[in-house]
Amino acid sequence: MTPPIYWFLLTSVIMFCIGLYGLLTRRSLIRMLLSAEVIFNAALLALLSTASLSQDFRPAGGALTLLAISLAAAEVGVIVSVAILMFRLRESLDIYELKGLRG
Amino acid sequence: MNLQIDPHMIVFFIASIGALVSALLVVEHKSIVYASFFLALLGTSNAALFVLLGYPIVSIFHLAVYVGAAVTFILFSVVLLKEAPLVEPIARGVAVIAALEVLLLFSVGFRPLLESEPVQGIISLEEVSEVLVDKYSFALIIAALALATTMIEAITLARREVSS
Repeated sequence: MTPPIYWFLLTSVIMFCIGLYGLLTRRSLIRMLLSAEVIFNAALLALLSTASLSQDFRPAGGALTLLAISLAAAEVGVIVSVAILMFRLRESLDIYELKGLRG
Repeated sequence: MNLQIDPHMIVFFIASIGALVSALLVVEHKSIVYASFFLALLGTSNAALFVLLGYPIVSIFHLAVYVGAAVTFILFSVVLLKEAPLVEPIARGVAVIAALEVLLLFSVGFRPLLESEPVQGIISLEEVSEVLVDKYSFALIIAALALATTMIEAITLARREVSS
């Protein structure tokens, strides 16, 4: 028997809270990206859990998750390249230094 | 005494505890290389939870695209970077309060779903692709365009010459 949806949602909420804590307390760009990825994983789990409530929503939930995963992969590429560029220019990953990169 | 242990429950507990411990280590580990490694573990545990919910296709996609490509990309990229631990000491208290508030709000908000069971059965590739093509074709095109654009953007940013 599969556990109730509430347990999956509770796992996702705790994961979201851990990610939120990391996002608020870190100043390094890469650390913030990693924390945002934790939040992204929590969001995926919540989306699939709620989609599993009804047979009608299940394929749509799966399709939306596939789209979200592919877009997240693209987003990771951009942020990591920004981090590498920032490190080459400033020798630091501190987000307070980011405003110095304004074009 | 006949003890019956449900394998689904065992997998759920292992995967969810694994995911939560990995999430904590992603945020708290001193080394960003190890933090990225724990993000890969988090993705793998999440994929196991997706299988339990009846989405093996999404789980395979998550492992292949997210863990296999995105997280591995972060893992290899952070090796190039040197990080000093940058923490906002004042924000710690605010972050703990915000996280606890979110936890409380959502755990109470989701309470009506306490007894709800997920729909049994496995979602097939045909069902997902049918919805993607029929219902979300425009979103699919936009996602493809966004992927192409971000790829060009990432290459341009990475190749930018640094003026002294």
